[in-house]
Parts: sequence; structure tokens; C-alpha cells
Amino acid sequence: MKVIEVEKLSKNFKVKVKEKGLKGSIKSIFKPKYKTTKAVDKVSFEVEQGEMIAFIGPNGAGKSTTIKMLTGILYPTSGEVKVMGINPTKERKKLAYQIGTVFGQKEQLWTHLTPYDNFKFFGAVYDLDDAIIEKRIKEYKELFELDDFINTPVRNLSLGQRIRCEIVASLIHNPKILFLDEPTIGLDPVVKEKIRTLIKRLNKENKTTVFLTSHDVSDIEKLCKRVVIVNNGKIVLDDSMENLKYHYLNKKIVEAKMKEKINLKELDGITILKDKDYSLKLEVDTTKRSISDAIKLLEPDKIIDINISNIPLENIITEIYKDTK
Amino acid sequence: MRKYIYILKTTFLDSIQYVSSILFKFIGYFISIFVMFSLWSYVYSDASNIINGYTLTQMMWYILMSEIITYGGNSKVIINEITEDIKNGNIAYHINKPYHYLGYIFMKYIGDSILRVLLYALVSILLAVLFVGFIPGFNFTNIIFIILSFILGFLINGFLKITISLLSFWIEDSEPFHWIYNKFMLILGVFFPVEMFPKFLQPYIAFTPVYVVIYGPSKLIVDFSFELFKSILIGQLIYTLITGLIMILVFKKGVKRVNVNGG
Repeated sequence: MKVIEVEKLSKNFKVKVKEKGLKGSIKSIFKPKYKTTKAVDKVSFEVEQGEMIAFIGPNGAGKSTTIKMLTGILYPTSGEVKVMGINPTKERKKLAYQIGTVFGQKEQLWTHLTPYDNFKFFGAVYDLDDAIIEKRIKEYKELFELDDFINTPVRNLSLGQRIRCEIVASLIHNPKILFLDEPTIGLDPVVKEKIRTLIKRLNKENKTTVFLTSHDVSDIEKLCKRVVIVNNGKIVLDDSMENLKYHYLNKKIVEAKMKEKINLKELDGITILKDKDYSLKLEVDTTKRSISDAIKLLEPDKIIDINISNIPLENIITEIYKDTK
Repeated sequence: MRKYIYILKTTFLDSIQYVSSILFKFIGYFISIFVMFSLWSYVYSDASNIINGYTLTQMMWYILMSEIITYGGNSKVIINEITEDIKNGNIAYHINKPYHYLGYIFMKYIGDSILRVLLYALVSILLAVLFVGFIPGFNFTNIIFIILSFILGFLINGFLKITISLLSFWIEDSEPFHWIYNKFMLILGVFFPVEMFPKFLQPYIAFTPVYVVIYGPSKLIVDFSFELFKSILIGQLIYTLITGLIMILVFKKGVKRVNVNGG
């Protein structure tokens, strides 16, 4: 079942342009000039129920604008959006009961209240009975391990604890889709890992569809089976994580430490990335050359140490960003 | 409706955390009352004097009661919070929640003000009794009508201030308009009752919000009559309707301008 259907969705922003200096400032009061920027440009995609999809792209690519249109926060300039069969702009309130949103950079919790009081508050906002609210708080308290701080005012929580509470607050009404906009921003690796595990469990146990944007490649790699990459408001790649890796991982990085300096000649399929003193770094396109070709090139009896690795996903994504600029 | 009551309850609980800041603001209140008391005691060189229908006792009660609305209704929710929500784009995150933003803000305004209004009411009544004693001939059976008038004045004050804050959709800062509104209320309502102004001005003042927000409820305490109550009530009901409608219209128009850039 399709839970998100987007067709040719576009969003333009009118931005005020001001000329330099005092003259420019005065001129902009009387004769303001505007320019239109296309934040999202004819984007189309669909999401199935229970999917965990990563929606990624560089800053200003249009990710958050797309999420905001999907959640009814922004009106699209053109195109069609349906989330759970509901048009977010026309029936925003109806949709609110079906979705949960966490914006890593925005607080929705009341900082003077405890997480428990906040959950009670959000439960009431979503018209839930007290008994149901209590039941859900109990469930999520265990799932998200909130026991130690559920009665501490939010303002005294660490960022990691707060984000866990933000996620629970957005889940209290059991939404079918959870939109996470950079949920792990500013968190340390241990807390990030914890939050990823929790999101994964949530998806597995409750079949909640997760729509995630993040700049953290590990978030995407560890959570999502499908990646949509946007750049300049357009979708540049919509593929499974497996395919993305398969297509790009036919390139290997060979790093070697040598006894003595050797004269390297670049071959078709082998690119020299670094040749400094006794350290060498080669990129091998395994569709053209085998790893043994690369090792032969390095003269095996002169190698002290060698490391063969895949290109990090981060680099792959950066390459895709660059290619689509 | 349950969710709105919950918003009110939650804000009320939240406001209890700020009791110290409410008490701190009493300093300004005490200074203002002290100045007013000294000023009017000087004007009323003889306590038995009657100036434009007010004895000194009635005048002090009038001022102290009017301060309940000005200080009690001075909620950060309807001034700072709305402006901030609009400026930093937070309003966008409210409009995708299953409540109406205006309902949410209004309930927060009430929840945030209950404690403050009660404290100011208590202190104002105490000070009035201490300074000038009870109002001669005050009939306690009228108290329900006076409270109703206070509540309506409080609502209209909220609607007007919310509307002013909503202007932030169009202008950089709504603060100057709040300043004008507050001073307008202070001079035409709190410092001097309508009767103190020249005769030709009085009918015009009666049409301003001062009459229904400040003057009406305060005047009913010092000189209650059903005729006056009726005229104030009609004015308040008309004002509640009109200001409520304007507030909704301004919000509907303004919210279309919400432009939140991605991050």
C-alpha cells in the first residue's frame, strides 16, 4: 500500500534582493525587488507502507522543503501530494493524526515540563483517552529507555535524552508515518547509534513508515533500504541502498606502505590518488582491472603493509552531489 | 475542547514556575500605585471632596481595579511568543498540529494569566482597603456581574493584543504598536477615568477599547448600577465579536505568508 504519493511537486520561494549600501537599503524600502528560487522542482516519488526511506542531499537541496510540503507546513507551488490518501494542504488537521514529525533543529516539547507531562499534553492534543496515553507512555518508556529521566524537566535533559523524548512525543498518537528531519544532528556517536537502533525497532515492531533526512551517512546506511538523493530541487537518484553500493562499490581503494620508492605508471582502470614518499593510494575500477593487477603494479616484494577497502558511502554520495551540480 | 482545556491547564502549571518573576514585577506596580495615591491624595486635599463624581475612595479603588487588567493581562504569551513564533517560523510547526493556533495561543494566554490576575486582584484589594477602606455601600450581590465584566474586558484585551502581535506577519516588529496600545490604555483608562476628560471627548472615548477593557469593569466596582452594567455589557459583547473576527481574519491572511525555508 502506498502511503506517500508525490507527483511533479514544486515549490518556489520569493526572496527579497537588496542592493549594497545605504542607497540600496533605501531603494529596497520604496521599490523592493524579488527573485524567485526553485527550492523543489517537479519531484515525483512514492513510498510504500513500512518502508524506511532516506531523503538526502546537500544543504539547500530541497529536502526539508519537501518534508514540510508532505506534512502540510508549506503550500506547494504546483504538483500533487497525497499522504495516507490525504492532501496535506487541504486537510492538514486530518493528516496530523496520521503522521508524526521530529525536526532535529526545532523543539516541540515544553521545556519547563517533564517528558511525562509533555507526553500527557501531546496525547490530549491528539484526543487520546487517558488510559491509552498511559499505556503508550509505558510502552515507549521501555522501548526508548526513558525511565531515568521521564520525570526530569526537559530543560535539564541532555540533547540525546531530549531527542528521544521528542521522538516519543511525536509517536504518542501512533502515527502511520514518522518524518524525521535530521534527528541525530549534534549528537555524539554513541547516542546516534542508540537512536538508530530505536528507530529500527520502531519500524520493525510497529511497521511505522519512516521518512528520514540526514546529513549523516551512517544514519542512512544503517537505517534505510532505499535512498532518494535530491540536489538543486530535483531527484538525482532513487534507488535501493544495495544497488547504490553495488554500482559504486566496484571501485576499491588500495593503500600501501612501501620499503622504497617505486615509479608508478597509471593504467586504464587504476588511478593514482596519492604518491608521497613511501605511501601510495590507488583507486581500482574492478570492472576493468583486478586487484592483483594493482598489487603487481606495486611490486609485491617491496610492500610492507597493504589495505584494500571500499569507497566510503560518504564519498559516493559526495560524488553524486558533484556530478549533479 | 478537552485539548484546549489541557493547554490551559499545562500553561497554568508552567506559570507556577514563574511565581518569582510575577512577584518581581510587583515592584513596578507598587511604585505606580504609590505615585497615584500620593497624586490623588494631593488633588483631593479634603477626603470628602467629589471630583467629577468620584470620591478619593472611589478613585483609588478605580485605579487599583484597572491595574488588575493591565498588569494581570500583561502576558508574554500574546506579545513575545506570537511574534517569536512568526519571526523564527515556529508557527509552521504549530499549524500542522491538530489544534487551531489561535485557540492554542488564547488558552495559553488564559492559563498564563490566571495566577497573575489572582495575585494582582488580591494585592489590589488589600491595598485599596488599607489605603482608603471599603467602598461605601458596596453590594456583594453584584460581584458576579462585575466578574463577568472583568472576564469580558480580559478577553477583548487578549484579542486586541493577539491581533497586534499578528501584525508581525507583515512588519518586522510589532512592539511599537503594543507600546502605543499600552500607553493609550494607561492614560485614557488607568490614570484617569473617562469622566476626567473634557465633556466633548467623553463620547469618543466611550467608543474606544478603553471603555470596555479598563473603564467598564473598574467603574462597575466603584459605582455599580444595572443601567451602567447593561451599557458596558452590550459594548463588551460587540467588541468581543468584532475584535474576535478581526483577529481571525488577520490570522487567516497572515498565515498564508508563512514561508519556511528548508534547512
